[in-house]
Formats: sequence, structure tokens, C-alpha cells
Amino acid sequence: MRAHSSALTRGLALTAGLVLALAACSSGGGGGSGSKGTSAGLTSCSTEGKADTCNSAATKAGGTFTYVIEKNVQQWNVQDTNGNTFENAEALSPVLPQVYVPQPDFSVKLNTDLVTSATQTSASPQTIVYKINPKASWNDGTPITADDFIYYWRTNDGKDCPPPPASDSTQTKGCLPESTAGYDRVRSVTGSDNGKTVTMVMNRPYSDWKSLFGAGYPLYPAHVAEKVSGAGSGDAAHMTAAQMTQGWQYFQKNPPTKYATAGPYKMTQWVDNDHATYEPDPKWWGQKASLQRLIFKVISDATQEPIALRNNEVQGIYPQPEVDLVNQVKAIPNVTYTIGDGLTWEHFDLNLHNPVIGKYLALRQAMFTAISVKDIMAKTVAQFDPGVKQLYNHNFVPGQAGYKDVVSASGQGSGDLAKARKYLTDGKFTGVGTALKTPDGKSVGPFDCRYTTGNQIRQSECQILQSDLAGLGIKVTIKPIGAADLGTVLAGHQYDIIVFAWVASPFPISGAQQLWTTGAGGNYGGYSNKKVDSLISQAIGETDATKAAALLNQADQLMVDDAYVLPLYQKPTFLAVQSRFVNMRNNSTNVGPPYNVGEWGLKK
Amino acid sequence: MLAYTVRRILVSIPVLVVSTFIVFLVVINSGDPVANYATSRQPPPSKAAVTAFARHIHADQPVVERYWNWITGVLHGDWGPSVQTNLDIGHDLFTRFRVTVTLVAAAMLLALVMSVVFGVFSAIRQYSAADYTITFFGFLFLAMPVFWFAVLLKQAGIWFNQETGSQFLGTIGEKSPYLEVDTTWNEFTDRIGHLVLPTITLALVSFASWTRYTRASMLEVLDSDYVRLARAKGLRRGTVLTRHALRTALIPLATVTALDIAIILGGAVITETIFQWHGMGEMLVQAATTLDVYRTMAWLLLSAVVVIVFNLFADLLYAVLDPRIRYD
Repeated sequence: MRAHSSALTRGLALTAGLVLALAACSSGGGGGSGSKGTSAGLTSCSTEGKADTCNSAATKAGGTFTYVIEKNVQQWNVQDTNGNTFENAEALSPVLPQVYVPQPDFSVKLNTDLVTSATQTSASPQTIVYKINPKASWNDGTPITADDFIYYWRTNDGKDCPPPPASDSTQTKGCLPESTAGYDRVRSVTGSDNGKTVTMVMNRPYSDWKSLFGAGYPLYPAHVAEKVSGAGSGDAAHMTAAQMTQGWQYFQKNPPTKYATAGPYKMTQWVDNDHATYEPDPKWWGQKASLQRLIFKVISDATQEPIALRNNEVQGIYPQPEVDLVNQVKAIPNVTYTIGDGLTWEHFDLNLHNPVIGKYLALRQAMFTAISVKDIMAKTVAQFDPGVKQLYNHNFVPGQAGYKDVVSASGQGSGDLAKARKYLTDGKFTGVGTALKTPDGKSVGPFDCRYTTGNQIRQSECQILQSDLAGLGIKVTIKPIGAADLGTVLAGHQYDIIVFAWVASPFPISGAQQLWTTGAGGNYGGYSNKKVDSLISQAIGETDATKAAALLNQADQLMVDDAYVLPLYQKPTFLAVQSRFVNMRNNSTNVGPPYNVGEWGLKK
Repeated sequence: MLAYTVRRILVSIPVLVVSTFIVFLVVINSGDPVANYATSRQPPPSKAAVTAFARHIHADQPVVERYWNWITGVLHGDWGPSVQTNLDIGHDLFTRFRVTVTLVAAAMLLALVMSVVFGVFSAIRQYSAADYTITFFGFLFLAMPVFWFAVLLKQAGIWFNQETGSQFLGTIGEKSPYLEVDTTWNEFTDRIGHLVLPTITLALVSFASWTRYTRASMLEVLDSDYVRLARAKGLRRGTVLTRHALRTALIPLATVTALDIAIILGGAVITETIFQWHGMGEMLVQAATTLDVYRTMAWLLLSAVVVIVFNLFADLLYAVLDPRIRYD
């Protein structure tokens, strides 16, 4: 009996030892031999000028690449406001074509597989001529023609297929495009040359015309919409609103396994909430895809992605970087990674609905000047992204043609306490540095600094702001926002100061209208400056891109003077892939790394 | 017993109605999905779209009317609208329920077998090194946070795969997206490989407490007169343990097991998230983070029904197993 017991004890002890050994193994990062995650592949992507060409190599046929998307695709019409998700844009990239494609360096590139040229032939009226690639066709054999462009325009202009009325609770009786910008300025889209030449004439000029028919929002096959709605074949110009709505709904509900597509891959399987499987499309007329199989796998918990990568269940991940996550990936052998500066930018916003903040410009300028953005970066994102830089513009990010420093001359974000205090003393504030009071004797603050709960970086940002503003005699209370309550807080103006992020656009001019103009949907803090409204409006109608950017920067300068939003930095993005695969790059625009998915493959 | 069963079912109906109404109030007051919709998209949706969305999710209706419409809709198979377009909550719920049942059933089976084996062994070797070791691990598993243990197990799984040069143990999902050689056997082993780690994770928490119950119950029974009598009659040790002692000792475990279903379902929320199983646990997390009122309520209603059914089952089982208990 004793011996029996000892044997069991030994067995249990062995098990315990194994568990503890495994625990030790896990905390140590699981080895770290080999390339330690810094193979040449993606590391050069952060070098200036290399963003579009890094990690390039010839590929060989075969291999399966599983890439992680972080949300399920519930609604497949990416042009629809409810289907306009990053994951949807990624999942459609391999199968649907678009005219201009955002590149990793934030420029846009003409997709010559779809159109051999896109030219502005006249400035007044602004006229754009697209020459469709003669070989371009949907994989059911139907050629891609002007009809596809006409269908796209008419469903997105907000007029030919109007949005569902507010009384339609099902939101199915109309088209609800994510944006009508640009399409609402089109006078006509006509086809010639057997439908292979498309001529678009604008009613009013539109500076961001390259965003039309693409930039993350691809073409859907018009002939499929015509068929499901009973409209005449090739006659998108005469489809009724009801017919267009039917097509719109069809593309919402059906994944691209169900209809004709035109890309290097065809989607062969969609398992809801789990994965999409793609295989090379033999009907694709462009450069053939070399992978045998491509899979987009849904992993909704980013912290599980490095583990799946280490276990070879996925071969590429694109999570939001955090210190622990980056360190985990660094420890995985034969994985290459890059941290880049994205189009998403972090910022502090002041709520101008607050009577004190809204009334006193000197107070806002002092607050922004007292904040040290360098200090914020050093204590947060710079810990895993030493190359992160302060952002000095509200509309452009470094690398974009229009980027210009409009902030630093103001001293905002510098942490210059003396300058900040001078704003206040010049403005007749009292109690500077102790307990700040307005010129008419009212207490300033305490102000709430709000951040999304669980976001350690933003919590730290609020804490540093709290410390910086204490130097002015302003008390700040830090209040987290529930995980799903950011919308409630923004729309209800339930903040004094808030830190969150905006996603900039490869086409910043039309984006500016939504954020900064009086009463715009994204202008939560209640900013209003008629000169800014006018300049942004002029920029949108300017056909010369350089002049448009200059107008937008003029507006930006006024916004800086008004001290409404303080840009902090571009949020880092993080791409990690197994180094045996090549041609993946960190495209932090709205199309994501799959912008060139047809080139992905096994290194030769 | 039939009358008792019917009475219990009838009593559970008002319990369900009241509990769902209270939770409904809590859920709809936990955030504003309309504001969330209006601000979480870039570019922001038009005012018409926001108004239509509010109507779509019935946010424009009074609370009591919303609840009434929901509860009567459920009786007709309509689980209400989700904040996600194209999402059929009923279909989603039952698809996920199947996933969770697979995981929970496997975990309960494993936990039961282990807890009986180790609990009995611990009892018959009371105060031995083995007993202390089992007790130590029991408390260790009880104290360990599920999420931490799950991550630990994942690392162990990767280590196993690397040591064996295989891809047997999966750390995400119920199965692989594809198989190089697609045969029934390969699909079976692939599913088993994905089931192992989450099952162990979910089982060990229950195993820890059930082992303690089994041990305590077994010790009590072993010390009882009828077991002493059985031994005195000269019955074999194995027969005394299994046919006389164990059968009686399992009665409390049977009821505890049935009652613990709520705890296991709670554990499944974390386990499913970490192992990316698309079950009810993940559904609850998604519903809560997107302020999806009707999806949250669907989860709650089904979970409440499961708990009520298992509570009833536990009571009935008790009567079946213990002849002294009679329900009139």
C-alpha cells in the first residue's frame, strides 16, 4: 500500500514539475533562437522611401498563407455605411477591383489591371476619362465596362438610389452609402468604345477625384445587380431606385462566393465568424497569384494572435501593437515584423460646449502649450516604437504630399510651462499655478479627462496631462469610459478633455469636411470657424491637388490658433509574418496589408 | 414526481419573466447603442441613417413596450434585431449553443471522471502524501484564474507540437480552416486536437471543487455503519468501495454537478474567448461590447433556461438516487 502511494506521489510530482516547467517555458518566451524575429524582410519597411518596395522577392508556386482579420464580416457591401469596416475592405481586396489603390506610403496608385489610364481631360467642367483594360472581365466572362462604373456612381450619389426613409426600421428600402462625397458632384458617367472608355463629367469640381471608384471601396459587378433585380442587362443607367436597392441588398447579404468577381483570387468558402478561403482565380488576366491557398482567419482577441503565429496556425498578423504583444512576437523564430506609423492619429480634444473652455481662447492655448507631447510619447508608445514622432498637422501625416508643420510654431504640445502661464497672465487669469480663476473670478476646472477603459496608454496620457495642467493650477479628474460607451460620451459631449484617435484618409480633403466644419458629424466638440468652413469648402472644389492641400493647411493653421484639438502622434501599426513568405507590407491605410495580396507568396 | 416537475416548471416561468425584465432594464441602461453607431464610424453616418438605426433596434420605443415586444417575439421565434445588420440572433444563438455544448459536455465529462478517480483515491488514502498532493492541486486549480491557466496551457500545447513535430494541438478555433489531406479520420483528429486544451482549461476548475466533494462524501460513507457491515460480512474491498460506498457517495456529486452548470457556462465565456471558439461565451462578450441589447438578452434567456432545467434535473436526480427523498 505504501509503495502504491509513493508511485502515485511520484507521478503527481512529475506532473507538477512538468506544469511548472511549461510555465517557466511560457514566461521565457519559448526559446528565442534563430532570427529572433528581425529578419531582413519587413525591417527595411520603416526606412524612408522603402514602404512600397520592402520585403520584395520573387515567389514560387504553392503554400498556404493564413492572415488574421480581427472582426467577423457580417455585411458584405463595403460601400454601405453598415458594411464599411476595415475587415470587409481587407476581405474583398483579393476578389474585387478598384481604380486607385492606397499604398503603404499613403500615396495612391492606379490599378492598371482594371484601367490602363485615368486622366483629367478638362478642368471646366472637370472631366475624367478612364480607359478600362481590354482584358478586364468578371470571372463569369462578362466584360468589365462603363456599366459597372455607372451602377457604382448611381448607387453612391445619394439621389438615384436615395437612402432608406427614417420610417424604414429595416433599413432595406434604399441605398445607404458610407459617403456620397464626390459622387454627388457627378453630372454624368457615360461609356464609349464598346463600354471600355468611361467619361465622367462633374457638376462641381472635386479635388479628390482619385478616391472615386476605389480607394478601398471596390466595384461590384453591375450585371449581377441587374440580374437579381430584373433590370435590363448592361443598362445600369436606367435602373430604378427599387432595382438598385435590390442589388445593393444582394451585395450586403452575400459573400463573394455567390457572385462573379474579378481579382487574383476567388473566394471559395466563407465560414461565418471563422474564415474565408481563397484560391487563385484562373480567369484573372493580371499577374497570377502564386499561393496555392489564402485564408483570412477571424481572431477577435488580439492577444491570442502571437500564440497562433507561434503555433503556425496563422502566418501573418496585423494587431494593434502593445509592449507585451510586440515582445512576444520578437521572441518567435523566423518571423519578420515591422512597426510603422499609421494613418490613425491620437489627439486630445477640448469640449467647446464647456462654458469656460469654449469661452476663453487663452485658456485653451495655455492648456495645449503646457502639455508635453514628447513626455507623453516617451512614457507610452515610444517604449515599443522608439521611432514615433510628434504629429504637427490635423489633416496630413508625414509622407503625404500636403504634410506641413502647422503646430510647432504655436508652442502647443511643447510642455513650455512659462509660455503657457504667460497666455493666462496676459489673459487676466488669476491663481496661475495654484488655483486658476477666470478674469471674472470663476474657478477653472476641475476638468474631466476621459479615455476608454482598459487602454493603458490613454490612461497614462491623461495622467501626464493631469500633471502638466497642475502646473497651471488646473485640476484634472481622470474618468474612464466604458468599452462601448465612447459614442455616448462623444455624442453627448460628456467630457471636458478626451483622448482618442481619428483615422486619417489617403484623401484628407474630403475627410476634413466631416471633422472640422460647423455642425459636421464628426465635430463632437462643437468647433465652428466660418473661415475654416470656407477654406475647406474651397479645397474640396479645387482641382489642383497642390493648391487644395495649401488651402487645407491654411484652414489647419486657423484651427491651431483656435486650440481645439491637439494632435499627439500617429498610432503605430504592427505587421508580423513568417519570413518564408514575402511581398507583405505594412499598408496602414483603409485597405490594409492585403492591398497587394496578389503578390504574396512563398519566397523562392 | 410528475406533479412536482410540472409545478417546478410553472414556477420557473414567472422567475424567468421577472429576471429577464430586471436584466433587460440593466442592459438597456448600460449604454447608448445609437450614439455608439453615430460616432464609431468614419465617415459618420447621416442623421437619416442614425434615425433609421434607432428605429431598427427599437430604441425609440418605451421600455415596457420594448420588453413586451421582445418577450412575445421570442415566443414566436423572433429574437429581435441586432445592432449588426444581417445578423439573425436566433440562428446565431443556436449555432453557438451547439459549439458551447460540445465544449461544456467534454469538460464536464473530463472533470467528472477525474474528480471521481482522484476524489475516491484521496479518500481511501486519507492523510497520505497522495492525498496531500491531490488536495494541493485541487486548491491550486481553484485559485488559478482561468485566463492565466488557459494561456499557460496554450504554451504547453505549442511546446508539445514542437517537440513532436506535429500540429496536433490547436490553440484557436474548433478546427483548422483546411486540411492538407481531407479525410474523415483527419477531420476527427483535427477536431479532437482543437478540443483538448479548452476542455482541460474548463474542466480543471470544476474538477478541483468536485474532487473535494467526492473526497468528503466518500470519507463520510466509508465511516458509515452499513459499509462497516459490508466489510464485516467479508465482501471484497473493491466490491465494498464501488457497489456500496461509491454509489452512495456520488449522490451529492450528481446534484453539485447539475447545479454547477451555471459556473461552467461562466467559465466558457473566458475559455471561448481565449481559444477563439465561436460559442455562447464569445457571443456574450461581443453583445456586451457592442451594446447589443437583444443579443445579450438571447444569451441570458437561454442560459437561464439551461440553469433552471439543470436545477430541476438535479432535484429529480436526487430523488432517483436517494430512495429516502420523495416529491409529492
